[in-house]
Amino acid sequence: MGWRLALALGVCLLLLVTFREQPIFDRARGATQDVVSILYAAAASPLSALRSVGDFFQTHRVLREENSRLEQENFILRGQTQRLAAVLAENSRYRDMLNSAGALERDVMVAEIISVTADASRHILLLDKGSRDGVLMGQPLLGAEGLIGQIIAVGASTSRGIMMTDSTHAVPVQVLRSGVRGLAEGTGEIDNLIVRHIAATTDIRVGDILVTSGLGGLFPPGYPVAEVVSIETDEGSAFATVMSKPMVELDRGRHVMLALGVAGNSRTAEAL
Amino acid sequence: MQPRGSWLIIATIVASIVFYLVPLPFDWRWFRPELPLMVLFYWVLALPQRVGIFSAMSLGLALDLLDGIAVGAIAAGSSVGVLVILLNYQRLRQFDALQQTFVIGLILAVVLIVVERLQNLLGFSSDGLRFLYSIPLSMLLWIPLRNLLRSFRRYYEVG
Repeated sequence: MGWRLALALGVCLLLLVTFREQPIFDRARGATQDVVSILYAAAASPLSALRSVGDFFQTHRVLREENSRLEQENFILRGQTQRLAAVLAENSRYRDMLNSAGALERDVMVAEIISVTADASRHILLLDKGSRDGVLMGQPLLGAEGLIGQIIAVGASTSRGIMMTDSTHAVPVQVLRSGVRGLAEGTGEIDNLIVRHIAATTDIRVGDILVTSGLGGLFPPGYPVAEVVSIETDEGSAFATVMSKPMVELDRGRHVMLALGVAGNSRTAEAL
Repeated sequence: MQPRGSWLIIATIVASIVFYLVPLPFDWRWFRPELPLMVLFYWVLALPQRVGIFSAMSLGLALDLLDGIAVGAIAAGSSVGVLVILLNYQRLRQFDALQQTFVIGLILAVVLIVVERLQNLLGFSSDGLRFLYSIPLSMLLWIPLRNLLRSFRRYYEVG
């Protein structure tokens, strides 16, 4: 029995150190991604069936109310887009003057969340879009209010995205108001990101918005990430610890957006 | 005698994985009972000559691939856990319900600690002792699960 255990442990340890990185497992990773999603979808199917039954029996009144609410929202959003178009045009003129290039408008693709992975210490989503739909490794995931995370595994028809609150994830950010840069690290808590190593004298306040800074080349600059909720400065310590709350309510909602045309940095994503 | 009823073993394990994946509210996931491991433990206890370390490793690998993060961690952990059962299955079978519940809880803890340690080695930081929260509910479910699987095994004459 001893040699069996030794063999099993040997295989496991070998897989542990090789599976995520070695190119020979590339195909296996993609293939298992799709198989696993089938299992997740099967487990979630009673729930989604209930949901669709619920949708079917929506009353006329509820639907009409929702429709009018959405119409209003759409009207307002279109108004805002008009303004955005003007701003974009202005911005690109400024960029021309500065001789710098940069794609400003980005298209997005909407993906539905199939499930959240079973391991509670990980914040990983399964999405119903894969390489067939143009999903790429490292592609940023967005919600309506801001950044959610990035793609870490791509199968043919499904993919997996890690949320920025996962304790293995970090995103380079910038304070919108003052331009101070930092690194927002996930903590494993769904409503908390931590920015460490900010000098205690830095201009940063509670209520400041952190946006992606674009450093590192993985996330495009300017997407809202989190709002500062507390700043702890230890007497005698040169650094402050900044706690922030993600703009997106990460445990709500059934859809995410994938920023198209952003290849992402697959090497960084694979390291996760 | 020809081994029979492998399909039942596989079917119960696949079913337990699907139950394991039922979507839960975000923070409830910590309390999710370790159903696939428990079903595996039952089969090891019942048929130690058929279900052993390599079965444990295969199931562990399947569970690892569900997350795709530290592939091999649960496989190693469950192999160790099953070894403990294989070395003690005759004693474990004699235990009454309460004793068995506690021993299963203990073995689950061993498995989870090995998994956690291996994940930490790879840099996936842990969150205190929260990874053990799934054990109480798993212990509560052990006896009903054992009785259910036993009745299946007898009905289909797996042996």
